[in-house]
Amino acid sequence: MKKEFICIVCPNSCRITAEYNEQQIKHIEGAQCKKGEEFIKNEIKNPLRTFVGSVKCRNGDYQLVSVKTNKPIPKKYIKQVAQKTHELVVEAPVEIGQVIISDVLGQHADLVATRKVRKKVL
Amino acid sequence: MINKDVVIIGGGAAGLAAAVACRDKGIEDILIIERESALGGILKQCIHDGFGLIKFQHSYTGPEYAQKYVDQVEKQEIAYLLDSMVIDITSQKVLTVVNKSGLKKYKAKSIILAMGCRERTRGAIGIPGTRPTGIYTAGVAQNLINIHNYMIGKEVVILGSGDIGLIMARRLMLEGATIKMVLELLPYGSGLPRNFNQCLSDFDIPLYLNHTVVDIKGNKRVEAITMAEVDHNGKVILSTCQEVPCDTLLLSVGLIPENELSKMAGIQLDSLTGGALVDEYGQSTVKGIFACGNVLQVHDIVDNVSLEAEHIACGVEKYLSSFLKPKNDIAIEIGEGLRYVLPQRIQYLDDTVFSFRVKKPGKKKQIVFKNDNRIIKEKSFIRVNPAEMIRIKLTSSELSDIKHLKVELN
Amino acid sequence: MNKNTENQFDAIIVGAGVVGCSIARELSRFKVRIAVLEKESDVGWGSSCRNSGVIHAGFNNQPGTLMAKYCEEGNQLFHSIAQELDVLFKKTGKLVVAKNNSEIAGLKKLKKQGERNGVKNLDIIDEQEIRKLEPNVRGVAALLSPETAITSPYLYTIALAENALKNGVHFYLNTEVENIEKKSSGEFVLKTQNKQFITDYLINSTGVYCDKIARMAGIDRYRIYPCRGEYYVLDKNASSLMNHLIYPVPHIEEGGLGIHLTPTVDGNVLIGPSNEYIDTNKRNNYAVTMEVLSKLCKEAQKFLPAISPKYFIRNYAGIRSKQTPPSQGGYRDYVIEESEEVPNMINLIGIESPGLTAAYPIAKEVVAMIDKKEKLSTNPDFNPYRKGILRFEEQDEETKRKLVEQDPDYGEVICRCEQVTKREILQAIDNPLGARSLISIKYRSRAMMGRCQGGYCQTRIMELLKEKYNYKWDDFLLRGSESYMLTGNRSNGEPAL
Repeated sequence: MKKEFICIVCPNSCRITAEYNEQQIKHIEGAQCKKGEEFIKNEIKNPLRTFVGSVKCRNGDYQLVSVKTNKPIPKKYIKQVAQKTHELVVEAPVEIGQVIISDVLGQHADLVATRKVRKKVL
Repeated sequence: MINKDVVIIGGGAAGLAAAVACRDKGIEDILIIERESALGGILKQCIHDGFGLIKFQHSYTGPEYAQKYVDQVEKQEIAYLLDSMVIDITSQKVLTVVNKSGLKKYKAKSIILAMGCRERTRGAIGIPGTRPTGIYTAGVAQNLINIHNYMIGKEVVILGSGDIGLIMARRLMLEGATIKMVLELLPYGSGLPRNFNQCLSDFDIPLYLNHTVVDIKGNKRVEAITMAEVDHNGKVILSTCQEVPCDTLLLSVGLIPENELSKMAGIQLDSLTGGALVDEYGQSTVKGIFACGNVLQVHDIVDNVSLEAEHIACGVEKYLSSFLKPKNDIAIEIGEGLRYVLPQRIQYLDDTVFSFRVKKPGKKKQIVFKNDNRIIKEKSFIRVNPAEMIRIKLTSSELSDIKHLKVELN
Repeated sequence: MNKNTENQFDAIIVGAGVVGCSIARELSRFKVRIAVLEKESDVGWGSSCRNSGVIHAGFNNQPGTLMAKYCEEGNQLFHSIAQELDVLFKKTGKLVVAKNNSEIAGLKKLKKQGERNGVKNLDIIDEQEIRKLEPNVRGVAALLSPETAITSPYLYTIALAENALKNGVHFYLNTEVENIEKKSSGEFVLKTQNKQFITDYLINSTGVYCDKIARMAGIDRYRIYPCRGEYYVLDKNASSLMNHLIYPVPHIEEGGLGIHLTPTVDGNVLIGPSNEYIDTNKRNNYAVTMEVLSKLCKEAQKFLPAISPKYFIRNYAGIRSKQTPPSQGGYRDYVIEESEEVPNMINLIGIESPGLTAAYPIAKEVVAMIDKKEKLSTNPDFNPYRKGILRFEEQDEETKRKLVEQDPDYGEVICRCEQVTKREILQAIDNPLGARSLISIKYRSRAMMGRCQGGYCQTRIMELLKEKYNYKWDDFLLRGSESYMLTGNRSNGEPAL
């Protein structure tokens, strides 16, 4: 079968056409870079996405610390990770890159902070 | 009156990049004036990723991208004021700034305008109906959710397919809201294609092109909207009206460069970009006042804002050392198929980055730079899309003996 | 007159629009225990905040009518009341513009009518003179009325209410009258959802609902036909296009003054209103419509070709309480009367344009009606003065500098478009009437009224409410009860939604 994909790796948003069946990918066309081809291979077998969201932060100069998975995870787990972020509270201060949940849902990616949150000065 | 070499108005993506680049060029006496209580501008609330792929070959979130520049500002000890508003600015480059500690005046040798843009509102596009609560611009919703920890609605219709609207569709969905649909007046999407993929398709959110909102119902909170199809002239087809129950209408219907201070300074604006009319160094019609970022033109990605800011810093440095001497004055002619071209004029014939947007999507297109009938440069594109800003650099040798310059899409 | 129980009053005014608040304030000059009952969460949320904000000179109304009389009197009175109450008032003057020669006769008729009504300084000017006064306006001749002025209709209403409050009037917001009973003792018993009120005098100043309230008291002879008018609000950048109010020659049978251009005291421009009778059962239908919005711009361009959609920042609609049905159109004179069948109930019926101008003379008339029967004694403590919120933006630089020195909250600009400071917003939040909706803060401070419509400051104002007043998500209301702005917290650190 033949299908057109829009690559999400970068703003180029390449339209990539792939010809494939259940066993193998026969042909990929339209990617401007290697990452695009990699993206399509995953997109066919097991689509991956980076999760972004935020987690409640106590005693910080922000009420929320924004978070992301430091690697893309299978798309089907995105909603479950979102659910996790609702149930968490972290304590300020938080640094960018600080691990909030390691190996989230066993998907070999950590949920890490993407915002610096200082302790609130009272 | 406090004297400064460079005053930068706005500590967002453009202002921060301009400040760091100015310092890199050896300018010591810089002041950033920021109205919020933290540097970073709108990036602070853009917690999604995809920033920095051009500039850093890495996908960062908004707060991470901003922090990289904030760290530079701190490290290089560039002065900044927070919670400070510029309430007046003159063509003599005198700024009146107010904050908690008082009202102060600054006299700058050079000013960089980096105030960003604002969102187009319901009133501006004249959506009919009642005026209940539950109607938000996408950016306000983003701020309430990502900074203030509030939820703004449960059943959401989004009008406009700009990037913030698409990003917010995904965000609200993951926070438990139902996104009923995204409506787009135009026959094509306004956001980047990848956002249609990862924000709408991934979550089976329907997108209706050639559709708009023609009525809002509800006296207290939104109860429903009426959607309708539009014909190829953008006129509503009344027979297609359909009521959609919802409690929230999110608007992502465009951004407007925030040029009220520019007007105060007597700067001439370009009605096509909504920003200042500038030369190739981002210098406005008032000598010594430069502009970069979304206040100059609405950008698609922040990397281009940073690059633009770095480029105009070269101009500021030349201006301060009196090296900015016009060799010529050529107004750029906008040819077929383009909505605007920046800069609007070139005077120095140095290496120049032109940026522009096409009027409508197309396949297999060429951008052509011409001096009368002589082609100076040509670049081919598999696809062009109004959502994507195109940047093309012309070198000083390419520009060396031109008398006239026209850019067109073929 | 002397009532002491909490729910007993000498006089109750139903409806806190500009008329009700004028009556409350005028009546508070006397020793009278007064209450104002208002179904909305703030004063002035009906027609009083949904009009052109014009203090008319009085040439539009038929000589001999109450409309003509009160309009002319109201125009004369306004300057001193505005000063007492610290309300913005600008005598901009008005041009009624004839688009072609056939309309000039209409101008002459208006001038004559105005002069009979006692309006001063009316003049008919030619095309050249129009150009001199208004370079952007197109027309062959115009009636110039220098006495026509503008004010902020909602700030005026708020000012009247605040001054009344200060002089002892009790305000009950969110209090809708559901039933009226006239007891054999002569007292009225008013039932509302949570409370019962007793009063000797009952004043019905409920605007578009006046026939309904009269019916509750057993008077069935009034009929109101709600007639909507839609408006566009233009960016302050449009204010340089014109100096005067710009009106077409009215076609009286239409029952409105025609779509006109009005500068506001804040520097915006209004286009409107349209004229559409609406369903009498949906009197709160303040919707604007696609058809009318597109018409407004075209009509305005006939006089001022420079008007364009790029100036639009908001739209709204108001509703006229007309006594004439759609089939008849035109105007019927105000009814201000104590009905024979229900003594001590004063009904104010059909107070449509020029209601804002006429409100104060109407109030004086109502007070005179009560005074005639009761021989009211003067309230020696009556204080006619009220101070509004000082506007930082309008001060000169030296004053601004001093203000920030005195109070650092003046140094924090919250609304960038209108340059409204934290100090002003806190004053607006702490308003004496206790109205806490975002719209109440907006009307009082002008924050959120500019070209970005709160895009920048709304979240900051919400943060201020949270910090200072400990607002929870469900305390944020846009326009009174049930107008929840939020649906919850995103995360409490526990499952959301």
